[in-house]
Amino acid sequence: MTVPPEVARRAVEWWLLLQDGDLPEPQRRAWQAWRAADALHEQAWQRITAVNARLADLAAPQQAAIARAALAPRGPARRRVAQTLAVLAFGAGVAWQLEQRTPWRTWVADVRTARGERRRLVLEDGTQLVLNGASALDIAYGPQFRRLRLLEGEVLITTAPDRHQPARGFAVQTAAGEAQALGTRFAVRALAGGGTWVGVFEGAVRLTPRDAAGEALVLPAGRQATLRTQGVSAPAAVHEDSTAWIEGMLVARGMPLADMLAALQPYSAARLVCAPEVAHLRVSGTYPLDDVPHVLAALGALPGLRVRTLARWWGRQEVVAEAAPR
Amino acid sequence: MSSAHSPLHREIATLYTDHHGWLQGWLRKKLGDVHQAADLAHDTFVRLLAREEPVQAREPRAFLTTVAQRVVANHYRRQQLERAYLEALAQAPQAAALSPEERALLLEALDEIDRLLDGLPAPVRRAFLMAQLDGMKQADIARALGVSLTTVKRYLVQAGMRCYFAVAP
Repeated sequence: MTVPPEVARRAVEWWLLLQDGDLPEPQRRAWQAWRAADALHEQAWQRITAVNARLADLAAPQQAAIARAALAPRGPARRRVAQTLAVLAFGAGVAWQLEQRTPWRTWVADVRTARGERRRLVLEDGTQLVLNGASALDIAYGPQFRRLRLLEGEVLITTAPDRHQPARGFAVQTAAGEAQALGTRFAVRALAGGGTWVGVFEGAVRLTPRDAAGEALVLPAGRQATLRTQGVSAPAAVHEDSTAWIEGMLVARGMPLADMLAALQPYSAARLVCAPEVAHLRVSGTYPLDDVPHVLAALGALPGLRVRTLARWWGRQEVVAEAAPR
Repeated sequence: MSSAHSPLHREIATLYTDHHGWLQGWLRKKLGDVHQAADLAHDTFVRLLAREEPVQAREPRAFLTTVAQRVVANHYRRQQLERAYLEALAQAPQAAALSPEERALLLEALDEIDRLLDGLPAPVRRAFLMAQLDGMKQADIARALGVSLTTVKRYLVQAGMRCYFAVAP
């Protein structure tokens, strides 16, 4: 089935509208209704999503200024140089805006949190969610299934028994696969490399890798594992401490420094970078998530470790943890 | 799928033997450079081989020059893009952080979008880049370009439709 041009045009119009900022709720509903109204609408929508993904790559901060200058409409050669300089200068002003902008994918998510924000919510069936900072989630409850789609960040879920008849299953989908709840409290975190970390605190969760060949695994309470498209890692013990973020705390017990910085990242405007030589350094202690500079200062005081703040392009900061010079 | 013995390939082989020398001469006169002419003549035949339909040109030389003209236009466009890209790299402090691979990938991505936007009026192109690369709001774009919000919307839809049809379904 090919998409008629007027449907393509409508998809483009919705895309531009959603991209332009926060849509009021009635319009968001109208957009969802439009997608659901016809398989062709959804097909057109998926295609414009692919366009968006390609453009989003170019809008990455390291590349946007170069892309802007190289792609600017071309005049005579001399004017072009002046123009290039002008847009680069202009770029410095808008870069901050770009950094502040939540990636487009999460604009259209049903629920999202800003950096440094945590949010609790109760769904229609009584299931409780706590979203960590910089997280985005779609909620898709249907007649047969209760499904969440984790786009970014981390969520802690306490499922409620479904009163719906017949009772519906509950699952979280991610880029790596699916985690199906078997009556439970569990946390799901999207990792930077594309994998999905899952920790189970009550009940059990079935992990199914996205690729059919990968084998599913049932993770019992007190265990954690990483789900990837091809399979599931060997489960290891998980401590209740790993949910301390819902109280705004980070509890580390011999935690590798790299993991600790990753846990702090949703609360920091500066990019946190861990040098490889100290990535496996073990850190212990209880730290406040809402005061990252304080935590970084504490880390910098550890023997053998140095924490430096670097000014990167466009005034953006990067904090690097590395071995202290002898 | 076409094989080496398909009618299309046979046809292009004939075009090549009969007119390759002539096309190279035509390009040399147009470009004033022997090596570039040889390269672009080669590109012209490569482009023909990518076709799915037989050519069946009644006037092979007129047909070849039409295709070659497109190849030449694309060559100039790419050259301009590369020059603008190198200038931008030289002036952007953050470029130092890009590895040679990243630079090559970035140029490829830029080339793809540049081809996509080729031929669009300058304000349409500018509005589109402001929205997509800078994340500017439509109202801000309208102010920056000194046009109405409706016009900005029209510009963005025009460029957006091009992208829509360019991405493989």
